[in-house]
Amino acid sequence: MEENSDARVAVGEYKAGWHDPEESTIRFDFGLSEEVVREISSLKNEPQWMTEVRVKAFKHFSERKMPTWGNMSMLEEIDFDKICYYLRSSESTEKDWEDVPEDIRNTFERLGIPEAEQKWLSGVTAQYESEAVYHSIREDLESQGVIFLDMDSGLREYPDLVKKWFCSVVPYSDNKFSALNTAVWSGGSFIYVPEGVHVEMPVQAYFRINAKNMGQFERTLIIADKGSSIHYVEGCTAPTYSTDSLHSAVVELIALPGSHIRYSTIQNWSANVYNLVTKRGIAHENAKIEWVDGNIGSKLTMKYPAVILKGEGSHAEVISVAYSGAGQHQDAGAKIHHLASNTTSKILSKSISKNGGRGSYRGMVTVSPKADNCKLNVVCDALILDEGSRSDTYPTMEVANPTARCEHEASVSKVSDEQLFYLMSRGHSEEESLAMIVNGFFEPFTRELPMEYAVELNQLMALEMEGSIG
Amino acid sequence: MDSTSRYLSMEKPNKADHLWRYTPWKKVHPTGDLSEIPPLSPPEISLGIIDGSELPPGIELKRGVFGEPDFSMSSALTNSFLHSSAETSRWTLVVDKGFSSEKPVIIDIKTGDLASVAHISLEIGKMSEFELITRVTGSSEWFGLLRTGQIQDGAVVNDVVIGLLDRGTMLRSDSIEICRDAQVRAGTVSSGSERTKSDLRYIMRETGGNIRVLGSILSAESMHLDHHIEIHHEAPETFSRLSWHSACGGSSRTIGTGMLTIRKGSIGADAAQIFHNLLLSKTAEADSIPELEVMENDVIGCGHGTANGPIDEEQMFYLKARGFDEDDAKRSLIAAFLNSTLSEMGGVDLHEWLVGELTLQLEALNA
Repeated sequence: MEENSDARVAVGEYKAGWHDPEESTIRFDFGLSEEVVREISSLKNEPQWMTEVRVKAFKHFSERKMPTWGNMSMLEEIDFDKICYYLRSSESTEKDWEDVPEDIRNTFERLGIPEAEQKWLSGVTAQYESEAVYHSIREDLESQGVIFLDMDSGLREYPDLVKKWFCSVVPYSDNKFSALNTAVWSGGSFIYVPEGVHVEMPVQAYFRINAKNMGQFERTLIIADKGSSIHYVEGCTAPTYSTDSLHSAVVELIALPGSHIRYSTIQNWSANVYNLVTKRGIAHENAKIEWVDGNIGSKLTMKYPAVILKGEGSHAEVISVAYSGAGQHQDAGAKIHHLASNTTSKILSKSISKNGGRGSYRGMVTVSPKADNCKLNVVCDALILDEGSRSDTYPTMEVANPTARCEHEASVSKVSDEQLFYLMSRGHSEEESLAMIVNGFFEPFTRELPMEYAVELNQLMALEMEGSIG
Repeated sequence: MDSTSRYLSMEKPNKADHLWRYTPWKKVHPTGDLSEIPPLSPPEISLGIIDGSELPPGIELKRGVFGEPDFSMSSALTNSFLHSSAETSRWTLVVDKGFSSEKPVIIDIKTGDLASVAHISLEIGKMSEFELITRVTGSSEWFGLLRTGQIQDGAVVNDVVIGLLDRGTMLRSDSIEICRDAQVRAGTVSSGSERTKSDLRYIMRETGGNIRVLGSILSAESMHLDHHIEIHHEAPETFSRLSWHSACGGSSRTIGTGMLTIRKGSIGADAAQIFHNLLLSKTAEADSIPELEVMENDVIGCGHGTANGPIDEEQMFYLKARGFDEDDAKRSLIAAFLNSTLSEMGGVDLHEWLVGELTLQLEALNA
């Protein structure tokens, strides 16, 4: 119990579930129309081409049907007319922490953002509702030409770069939610790492939804130029309300030849948030893209980080964990497309279902006819901790080249009685033993995270395991 | 509602429907006009022993099917269509309780040249023990086979369907219930038809059911062979294994999709499925989707896997070093790959017979 008490102190019972009074400088009425889309664009004083892209995306969103796969009953509950598509709580994006409005500053201080920035980050963006409220980057990186801005500032300051890459990896017509994001996007991160520059410490973005029935639609674009590298970390929380919110982000990664992008996410939305996200990267010659993806919160997550291996010798890795508790469905997975020769990929997915939660792995791996000598490996493991919980795997493998070596394996099981007995015979309670086994099960994921995240994730999981026995 | 009305009133599936993703219904419908159930001929069907000897008493192939089959766990579209179109070609294999045969029994289906269809209901009596081969041969443009029925308590049955049509399309749908403590090996050997779409579903609603589903699939030229297999565990202590081997050459495409479900209450269920694909040419394609839905936590284990690869160069080198030429070495390795599931489908006689059939196919493809 001692470990779990520590966990409670450290993270509380969904520690991010409080909310501040809603104080906004601009708040749109509920509902979405072309007028709303144009108004968002006008408010941001965007170039004409972006307004046009937004309007086209809105039309596509309006015409496109909801997905006919996945948890359709949960998806049908989303009422797009009862969502606020834009809410600004701060007049501008501040570079000095002290200039951020006090209540918002308090929120992020409670979440530990400024402390983390001082200790181990190269830069931070904090987004509150629709807009970034705080942004900073280390001076030495700035002097090397690294651009790390919120997306709106990126569009203002580097319009040509944004125009070149925006929608190049995830077109608005990709799916209904990428169309929605493209129509109403606001905030997110824009990063450009110049040729040969290695950003040694991670940069972080933290996304917070505070208002009820809020939609957060951030857009992130990361371009790593030749031979460069960057590690981007994002965290997400929201208050616990009885009504639902929608988070529908789009993330595009461009790894130019020889570069390396690692994108880590700890998604801990409260259990009233629909988390419907499109994340995709394109890897050129000898580039490497890694998605490290943790899904702990939300009501329904549908997220399948993807990599298009376009250049010869490129490599992709997706490591994901999902925890599904009461009323939650974590529908997560990965997609890798091998389009070039000598490309390699690895997917490792771990999921735990408890208290009636449902965890689904949905993945796709394809090898095109022209991609010779590809190697890929997919491993999915799932633990079901109690009656009434559920685990599914839906992997697809399409191989059109005889030289490819492809492996997929998956298993679903319960916690082994022998492992529990072993730990209990050494003095641990059953609950502690279970928490240790679960942390061990997630270990391949946590070891890929920065230390602070890994510790918090372990504590969070220990807390989630409370009450698992008896 | 009868099956004709049911089919005609149904909305026809599109590509978003998982079952029809790779092989749309339009492609396997006999005429392509989805709004019609065209008239189809009955094939020639006979029951015998593979060596031509006399059938032992206790097994009979009767005309007609009693009652409306239970399609609750199967594709309503395919089964309604096949059931309706097979009105003049319905048969029931009645196997008495305790029936036993040392020699494999064969249902020989000769389609002739005309588009034809058959519905065979399996009524396999309790504690019976035998091997059943269902062989389909002929030159028809289109053949449909619907198999329904039950394998009753304690029966031990090896059930192999071998599709050897010279050309055309074969549409097959199985919906078989495995009763208490029954042990079944359900084999599929597929080679020949230009296009195959099969939907095989096995349901274990009672304790102790045990099934091994095995596939040996050989495709060449521009063949398109799509097999969907579902195994449903709905009772405690049920066991299943699915092992599917496909070798694809030419510009052919094989598709193997599996769905393994463990319903709540299936305590002690033990299930696994694996798809192996051997790609033999640059233009061949193999797709696998082994899906799993587990709603019970107290299971022995549930797993799945898939592996794709070319012919192993080291194995080729080994055989060539021992005097095999390139083609012989390749043919031997393909045969060995397919034989690994073939050898599990039944006893010595059945296996020898299957190897003979497969060898003929390999030679024909090679020629």
